[in-house]
Amino acid sequence: MTDWNAIGDDAFREEVRRFFETAYPQELRFLPRRLRWSECKPWYLTLARKGWIAPAWPKERGGMALSPSKQIIMAEETERAGIGRMPDQGITQVGPTIMRYGTEAQKQKYLKPILDGEHVWCQGYSEPNSGSDLASLQTSAVREGDVYVINGSKIWTSMSMDATHMYILVRTDRNAPKKQEGISFMLLDMTTPGITLRPIRNIAGHEEFAQVFFDNVRTPADSLVGSLNQGWTIAKALLGFERLGIGSPRRPRYAFTRLEKVARGRGLLDDPAFADRFAQLRLDLADLNSLYGRYVDQVRRGETLGPDVSILKIWSMELYQRIAELLVEAADEKGAFEGDVDFDDEEVDVLAPFYMSRPGTIYGGSNEIQRNIVAKDVLRLPGK
Amino acid sequence: MADIDDGRTDERRMLAASVADFARRATDMARVRKWRGVAPGFDRALWREMAALGWTGLLLPERFGGMALGFAEMAEVSRGLARVLMPEPLVACAVLAARALGHCDNEALGAELLPRIAAGELIAALAWQEQAGDLGSRAPVTEAALGSGRVVLNGAKRFVAGAAGADGFIVSARAGAGVVLVWVPAATPGLSVRLEAMADGRFAGRLELADARLPEKHILAPAEIAQSALDRAVSEATVMAAAELLGVMSRTLEMTLDYLRTRVQFGRSIGSFQALQHRAVDLYVQEQLASVALADAVSAIDDRPDDPTTAAAVSRAKARCSDAGSLITRQAIQMHGAIGFTEDSDVGLYVKRALTLSAWLGNSAYHRRRFAATASADAQ
Repeated sequence: MTDWNAIGDDAFREEVRRFFETAYPQELRFLPRRLRWSECKPWYLTLARKGWIAPAWPKERGGMALSPSKQIIMAEETERAGIGRMPDQGITQVGPTIMRYGTEAQKQKYLKPILDGEHVWCQGYSEPNSGSDLASLQTSAVREGDVYVINGSKIWTSMSMDATHMYILVRTDRNAPKKQEGISFMLLDMTTPGITLRPIRNIAGHEEFAQVFFDNVRTPADSLVGSLNQGWTIAKALLGFERLGIGSPRRPRYAFTRLEKVARGRGLLDDPAFADRFAQLRLDLADLNSLYGRYVDQVRRGETLGPDVSILKIWSMELYQRIAELLVEAADEKGAFEGDVDFDDEEVDVLAPFYMSRPGTIYGGSNEIQRNIVAKDVLRLPGK
Repeated sequence: MADIDDGRTDERRMLAASVADFARRATDMARVRKWRGVAPGFDRALWREMAALGWTGLLLPERFGGMALGFAEMAEVSRGLARVLMPEPLVACAVLAARALGHCDNEALGAELLPRIAAGELIAALAWQEQAGDLGSRAPVTEAALGSGRVVLNGAKRFVAGAAGADGFIVSARAGAGVVLVWVPAATPGLSVRLEAMADGRFAGRLELADARLPEKHILAPAEIAQSALDRAVSEATVMAAAELLGVMSRTLEMTLDYLRTRVQFGRSIGSFQALQHRAVDLYVQEQLASVALADAVSAIDDRPDDPTTAAAVSRAKARCSDAGSLITRQAIQMHGAIGFTEDSDVGLYVKRALTLSAWLGNSAYHRRRFAATASADAQ
């Protein structure tokens, strides 16, 4: 088996770049939406066969065991090639969680099917009445003999219609002194009787998420990961890297290239008022790059990301929206046109970034919640 | 406040610590207030102490008594001293003027003047601007007539940083089609210096040159070298002004956060109110962006001064630091409430230094334009 870490960074980058450039389908590059499993499964399996599907996993579990700096090279090259985001929850969230908190039987049962693309995972966190206040979640799991019986509902479950499994936070103790202390982390087969799905069409017209209902869903007792009522701790351990991922300049940069096309096509850069706003956004984007680079360097040095990484999500997602909004304005009447719009021989979907930038300030902990976190844990401002 | 770990070297951390130590020992707000509006606006004795620590010669080569360090180190000093609003014209003299001198090719004059700058004996100032908003795009109106072994200067220069107390000026002037730089000692007949008061209590110099005669050997650089020497020194000083802005904004944000933690209204500290918490976070975001933009600019002028992307990095840093410095100091007034609007409060001193530094060497609007003009598409 290749020891990827023994290869120099530049040579490794070169090899990854060449492979991505030749092996990834052209028509799936730089799409403004999440890919469905049917579209990206061939690429998932291509990476799996090459042994590249799990860069961070240890070798004995079928991963590449890449150093943090090489993982970042992989991520950078993935972005550079315009490779769409696949259902990656199994690789990035469930696998590492099972490796850290799971039993040997759980490792045997779940890890390999993730690598093979047999199991596709979705995340069951939010509920209709538990959004920002996630710890107030009410979906319950009650022990009956050798099963847990789950009742309740999860919502905004991304790509759940493609998922074979869900990792889920459930309430297992209603009398815990703190709401965070009565929550458990479980693994669920989506074919279990009693689970129904209602796809939700988003504002852009895509069905990327759904509401999931649980009606007396009986799942084996060994669905539990870690100890009973330890779920909140497990869920929190997964958050830091998620914020680095959401804070990547990829999305705002992509919206900016569209803005630039429209601005040039329409000759708007000759207007000093427009040019100044355009320059400000370009500058904001360059500063985002630098900020992202600083956190990436921290990961490269093997350091744990602190709560301050939330500012990356705040800045990145709000910038994404500002760029998308100027794009709509730059298009004038065409800013109200659905789908691809013609600008001086350039086709640009003006409204796609406008729509797709909306949820970025909501998911992964809304930007208001991120500000609460920074105020409390970084700036040390007092609570009530 | 928890600063994001930026991977600074231990040497730079030690330098930053010694700057902070000097700042605690050598100055305070009473001294800052004392020198406001009083020429020269700073303390020459303290200047010599700074020279003894090596800071006036920090960038100069060792053969001139300098430390031969880079802008990463100079940024630490500039930022640390700006945190306590030191009025001494370190960037104006040790960066803008000394670097312009150093980039020129008059070896003899350089060897005479630069060691005296390093030793703290000589304060030099660069007189290169003539009109507001003109940062070198137009040829100077000030004229240098060359001939019979001397140079005669006629014209006017404005916005000269560090002019109060300067022992001499590097004056840019038009000679034929090009620009020359001339060393003009303060006592030169025909030179008159007026001081214009700035918001932070320091002064901008306004020079009149009426048949000021200097020997030819005072020409620091001929046309082919003078313009690039000037451009480069201005670019370097711009980044150090951005570092000063970072120091000003960081200290102001700390003061504001302290106030939010301690001021009690409605029976609770006002820092517990979410509206103020979120606003404080937005200020922190701006401060951190300023910090990363500055780091990029510092490494650009240290590591690749002639690279075409350097101009964009410099302008990006000055634009961000000016905007963030202005925002954070203005918001400090608001968050302190009425007390922040008083003469007694130190908040106002920080607001005014931010105003002065923002306006110096190109404000944010100027540098946004310059960034847009110099940033290549792949620089994003």
